Amino acid sequence: MTISVITTLSTLALFISTHGKANAAYLDPGSGSFILQLLLAALVGGAFIIKTYWKKIIGFFRKDSSREKGGDEE
Amino acid sequence: MTQVRTSSAHHPVEASFRDPSGYLFSLDGDLYRQVNSIYQEHYTRLMDSGLYQTLVDSELLVPHQEVEIAPLDPISAWRVIKPERVEFISYPYEWSFSQLKDAALSTLEIQKLALARGMTLKDSSAYNIQFHRGKPVLIDTLSFEVYSEGEPWVAYRQFCQHFLAPLSLMALRDVRLAQLLRIYIDGIPLDLASQLLPGKTRLDIALQMHIHLHAASQKRFASSALPKERQMSKTAMLGWIDSLESAVNKLHWSPAGTAWGEYYTETNYTPAGLEHKKALVGDFLRQIQPKRVWDLGANTGLFSRVASQLGASTVAFDIDPGAVELNYQECRKNGETNLLPLLLDLTNPSPGIGWGNRERLAFGERASVDAILALALIHHLAIANNVPLGRVSSYLCELGRWLIIEFIPKEDSQVQRLLASRQDIFSEYTQAHFEEIFAANYTIHRAEAIQDSLRTLYLMEVRH
Repeated sequence: MTISVITTLSTLALFISTHGKANAAYLDPGSGSFILQLLLAALVGGAFIIKTYWKKIIGFFRKDSSREKGGDEE
Repeated sequence: MTQVRTSSAHHPVEASFRDPSGYLFSLDGDLYRQVNSIYQEHYTRLMDSGLYQTLVDSELLVPHQEVEIAPLDPISAWRVIKPERVEFISYPYEWSFSQLKDAALSTLEIQKLALARGMTLKDSSAYNIQFHRGKPVLIDTLSFEVYSEGEPWVAYRQFCQHFLAPLSLMALRDVRLAQLLRIYIDGIPLDLASQLLPGKTRLDIALQMHIHLHAASQKRFASSALPKERQMSKTAMLGWIDSLESAVNKLHWSPAGTAWGEYYTETNYTPAGLEHKKALVGDFLRQIQPKRVWDLGANTGLFSRVASQLGASTVAFDIDPGAVELNYQECRKNGETNLLPLLLDLTNPSPGIGWGNRERLAFGERASVDAILALALIHHLAIANNVPLGRVSSYLCELGRWLIIEFIPKEDSQVQRLLASRQDIFSEYTQAHFEEIFAANYTIHRAEAIQDSLRTLYLMEVRH
């Protein structure tokens, strides 16, 4: 009897702790949609880093040339 | 929250039941959102991280107030909030291309701002976006959760189904394919989108990845469990959102140069006649002072703007996706805040869809309206669509108290055009019969002939 009460309480405690803190996600992300992101994460992340730096480089030169022209760009 | 009594006056909103984070309900005509205990951590983070204020300041999230009223379900409730009310709830199958595109871009902008503050969108439903004061805003305050680095975006599938698939189909195949959203309530299935898109989209990296490969991945891993190891860095997540944003930004559709393009200039009014009609509509509206106006058959919104500029919250409905698109572009250009263009076929208006046919409401069930504009419309209903005048009258009188309606006689060149290709079976389509039929439901207050035309503009009020 005692054991069953303890088991019930600990199951409940586990339920509450996982439910209280777990993500509120209620949507089925879809296995295929989830796995696609994991498979291509490195590729897309890498491309994003290159894109970000490329923009910074382009931005640096644009800023530079606009200064030479006496442009009023900030 | 100490008060826990739920009265019979609490009414759950039928669209809000899937997410256990909380529920919408109405009480005494006001709209509230119950926040459940299960969502406390996420709500607190939203408010304390500054994300809420940033989003509200950027007009990306509907503002709300925390209120002390009894929740809908006291057992699960933690707090009740009162969101600012959106004037008219519309659905993605009623939006033009640019409206859906702006809603998609707002969703991605919200996700970027959320990630910057340690949160993420846990859903990306197009139904969570509404046009509020002319801008697409998120209306579901409970759409955020604390971001845990390493996890992929849980709402990615939904974003592609609700936004990217319909937008790419509209831009690259046919704008009318947006109507698939009316059939598929959780967005267009990606395998269907993949089949319908032109083959050349496989050469576009973003569409190849987010539609074609995505559909293939769904098929390939359909019965797989989610992998335990989570390995999507925050940089990769930001890259993913950036890639979706680029894909959306690259899609364009404009009615100019398409079959829809030439329609708008085809009216038979003289400039003076058009001005006279505008003046009459304005005069009638000033007489009745409506707060809310629906313009049915609004075309690009010329007369809707007479109402909106007089301060009425106006919805401009039209059957033509091109007209709605041009109207929305105009609204955006002018920063108009009380005019909402929407797509609607009045002979087949948006039905109630989803669970119990109550999740997304039918066109006529969503709001009450003070005045209806039905200008250059009656001949399309009565002659092009064979709707008897009595049915037009009894339908319109259910929608609102006042009716501003234009009668266009058979001798008018626009009616002659409609009759050119068919037998004239409309012996009852006369001005006298029109007045007699409408007088059964309405009191006719005014009838003014429009200058340089054979047309008459009426102001009518529903009989009590």
